[in-house]
Amino acid sequence: MSEDTFMGVPRNTIDWSPILDYDKCNYCMECVKFCPHQVYEVRETEEKKLIVKNPDNCVVFCRACGKTCGVDAITFPDKVATTKKIKETRKGLAGNE
Amino acid sequence: MSKSFAVLPCNGLDKGAGCIAREIALHLIEKSESEMICPVLYRIADARYNKIAQEKPLLVIDGCQTRCASKLASEKGLKVTAKITVTEEAKSRGFELGDALRLGENELKLAERIADELLLEKKAEKSLGSETAAEGETVYPETYDYEVYKKDKFIFRVPKEGFLFNENDSWVYIVGNIARIGVTDYVQQSLSDIMFFTPPVVGNEVEQFGELGEIESGKAVFEVVSPVTGRITAVNEELAVTPELINMNPYEKGWIVEMELTDLESDKELLLEFEGYFTILKRKVDEFHV
Repeated sequence: MSEDTFMGVPRNTIDWSPILDYDKCNYCMECVKFCPHQVYEVRETEEKKLIVKNPDNCVVFCRACGKTCGVDAITFPDKVATTKKIKETRKGLAGNE
Repeated sequence: MSKSFAVLPCNGLDKGAGCIAREIALHLIEKSESEMICPVLYRIADARYNKIAQEKPLLVIDGCQTRCASKLASEKGLKVTAKITVTEEAKSRGFELGDALRLGENELKLAERIADELLLEKKAEKSLGSETAAEGETVYPETYDYEVYKKDKFIFRVPKEGFLFNENDSWVYIVGNIARIGVTDYVQQSLSDIMFFTPPVVGNEVEQFGELGEIESGKAVFEVVSPVTGRITAVNEELAVTPELINMNPYEKGWIVEMELTDLESDKELLLEFEGYFTILKRKVDEFHV
């Protein structure tokens, strides 16, 4: 199981996980083979044979699965915006204590 | 004057990028003393190419991110001197790669341009190296005091004092407003034998959690996640020739870059001291390092 916080912030408040472009994806499954965190799930019988099943398992700021993608079908949210949001959430949490 | 490579190209004939990789290799052998290693034959009969691979600096040309040529080089234990990926080269030039396997006029031009630049870059190498090396005036300790966590045959060191860390397994050692940055033992143990380092550009501004180059092994490509915000003032030139320094000790001779800090107070909110990082490292090792 993945840790449920990142820098003290609840993981489920951080929007960070791979975004699949189904027009480009050729279902080679290299990303699935690579990711040790069970972020993806393969669904052989469905039209979208690959989905992001557990976005909160994705390591915040990790883009390594994207680098295995031969057709460039994987993108990630903007890092600067994500960092800003994490800092805001931390401030909010500190204020409530 | 004569510059040449042992060229190990992708030869993925079912992809446009693979066909371009082959075309670049052809240009290189025509325009220089470079020699080609055929990846298909090399896989089953390497005797023919071992001599070339040892005599000349190795240039790996991957077609796409599947990195077949890089993985082949890693499998054969070759030392990679230079490396490009056709899809990345195309992207950085704003060139849209199609699916066609027969190369058109534009693809042929792209291949020729990339080949020409590779031969030029080789010329410029010397003068570049000396500029960045002169900047490192800060004196860093030669070694540090480490806490060690062991799991089976793997040893994970973390320096006990003077370092800050992010959760993405990068460290920062700060002297005044200059910081030296690298990755922790967790990264190098997970990647195993590091065969290539792609440095970031000196002078570039990088935000906290931005990218500081890539480290690559036969297993994976790892993006170095910056622990701080600032301007890159130097890269560790040694890593171009000896990337395995990161495996040997990523805190000492295997450091990655130096940066001039621009927002340290704010960065510190999202940095960990030894205790915090060591706890996270132990958890990661227990959960994922099998």
